[in-house]
Amino acid sequence: MTDISTAQPIDAASAPTSGQRIRAGTQVYMYVSLIIVAAIVVVPLISTALGGFKTLGELRGNPFGLPTEWQWSNYTDIIVSKRYWLQMSNSLIIALLTVFLTLTFGAMAAFCFAHIRFFGADYLVNYFLIGLMFPAATAILPLYIRIRDLGLIDTYWGVVLPQVAFGMGMSIMLFRNYFRNLPSELFDAAFVDGCGYMRFFWHITLPLSRPIIATVGIISFVGSWNSYIVPLIMLNSESRYPWPLGIMIYRGEFSTEWQLVLAFITLTILPTIIAFFLAQKHIIAGLTAGAVKS
Amino acid sequence: MASVELRQVRKAYGALSVIHGVSLAIEDGEFVALVGPSGCGKSTLLRMIAGLEEITAGEVIIDNAVVNELTPRERNIAMVFQSYALYPHMTVAENMGFNLRLSGTPKPVIAERVAEAARMLDLMPLLDRKPAQLSGGQRQRVAMGRAIVRNPAVFLFDEPLSNLDAKLRVQMRSEIKQLHQKVGTTSIYVTHDQIEAMTLADRIVVLNQGRVEQEGTPMELYRKPANLFVAAFIGSPAMNILDGTVDGDGGEAAARLGDGTSIRIAPERKVKRGQAIKVGLRPEHLSPGAGGTALAGQTLLVEPTGAQTHIVFDLAGHPVVAIVDGEYPARYGARFEANIPAEQVHVFDRETGVAL
Repeated sequence: MTDISTAQPIDAASAPTSGQRIRAGTQVYMYVSLIIVAAIVVVPLISTALGGFKTLGELRGNPFGLPTEWQWSNYTDIIVSKRYWLQMSNSLIIALLTVFLTLTFGAMAAFCFAHIRFFGADYLVNYFLIGLMFPAATAILPLYIRIRDLGLIDTYWGVVLPQVAFGMGMSIMLFRNYFRNLPSELFDAAFVDGCGYMRFFWHITLPLSRPIIATVGIISFVGSWNSYIVPLIMLNSESRYPWPLGIMIYRGEFSTEWQLVLAFITLTILPTIIAFFLAQKHIIAGLTAGAVKS
Repeated sequence: MASVELRQVRKAYGALSVIHGVSLAIEDGEFVALVGPSGCGKSTLLRMIAGLEEITAGEVIIDNAVVNELTPRERNIAMVFQSYALYPHMTVAENMGFNLRLSGTPKPVIAERVAEAARMLDLMPLLDRKPAQLSGGQRQRVAMGRAIVRNPAVFLFDEPLSNLDAKLRVQMRSEIKQLHQKVGTTSIYVTHDQIEAMTLADRIVVLNQGRVEQEGTPMELYRKPANLFVAAFIGSPAMNILDGTVDGDGGEAAARLGDGTSIRIAPERKVKRGQAIKVGLRPEHLSPGAGGTALAGQTLLVEPTGAQTHIVFDLAGHPVVAIVDGEYPARYGARFEANIPAEQVHVFDRETGVAL
């Protein structure tokens, strides 16, 4: 029998309130959601990297587990091959040209839309933004015809120009939003100091826009790096293939060496992951610029 | 240095007119303050002088040349902004020398001019710092340094002290005054703070709803406000305004308040018997024991400020503020009596608000 007289009083201060319980529940829900989302992103990456260390037989029998015997040769064979480095340099050339042109034209166009009022400016912005709704694959045939007419089939420019064009919508949107949120007094001060639009763009806007430059740069770099369909259609010579097309050599008519495909994919995505982590701070700052009053 | 003249300057945004034909002449080396409440058009007017706003009609003349179509740089003006508007990615020295760099001035000359301005403003130890590493006062000094370096014809100040705390504002106010005394450049200073305008300017222009209400020296505006708006705007605490009717005329004229209280009016006031008026009494002119009309009422509020005490007392059913010596034994609820000489009683037409 419970001895009521010796029962301790409940410490009201230490007992969780309903508000605290709701907050704790929200935290649990938030962490579980984050873990699920993280797993959706991370599991395929890890499986791909681990798959590259397996034999084809083991990959079929145990696609997600650790390899019983680590096949380092899958990776080393790719790394020592001349083709791998040639394709990497092709990827780099295409990606860097794409980034340079996207940043240059995107920033300049966005600056005009942000600071110069002219007839039809809003319509023109919307015209560029419509581009966000259409991936390059939807227009691949007219693109091919236009690139062929320009004589750019099987050249880097044949891949770079469509990538720049299709990246322009996102680039202009992000740059314009950022530029519009720079304090207008800076423009006034620069104008009084003797800047015109070009000097203001060069001396003031660009140096203050590093976060958004990093953001747009990384987005267009990753987009170009991972692009498959445009290079596939525009490039004929294997010597001009970027990395994503390099996967094709492991695909035979009757069988595919999936373990090599996975090792190859792992090696090709590593640079973009490293680049993302290095620029992560700028990317987030750029994407959220202007969201709140600074 | 240069003179500045505005001739019938107007500004409209579409159908909305914000500046209604302002004319103003500012002499070479003069320090003029544009004051008025928020939205009166003073900043717009300054920006029109600077070339940052288009002029809808009229002429802006700097150094005897019409500059309507010239860029700010071509007008040879320098401007200090309320938010400092320093370039965050440049050091203090780079900020100050930026306009010279743009004009292609040789580097040694830039360094020399920047150092000269920095010495004048006590910025030498800060030249290598970025704006984010400076305090508010230091940033404002850099903004002024940026203006000085180019040796402009006209300085334009757009509420430069508004972002500073009260103590720093007083300090910077003296620095601006000293700076003007040193360089003697024509200066136009926009502020909504009439104390700033009174202490700094040779001449004050009071603006209201895009029109000039009155211009004159600080003491002219204080002593002889042209209308009710200026009377209420200049002076702190603000002038007490009471409704009254003229009783008697000539040397015997007096203002009779609602409760029958009579206040003697100076003979030079152009009033007529029975005229509906507004009576203006400055708080600092209501002194206990001085000569003139005695006014009395119950003390409603006592606000000690140290050297002085503000007493709010009831006069003809209206709260009236008086400023007395800090040692005065004021007490809530007690009867307060003050006197005001006839020449310190301001009178305005009740209909038009014009001073009589």
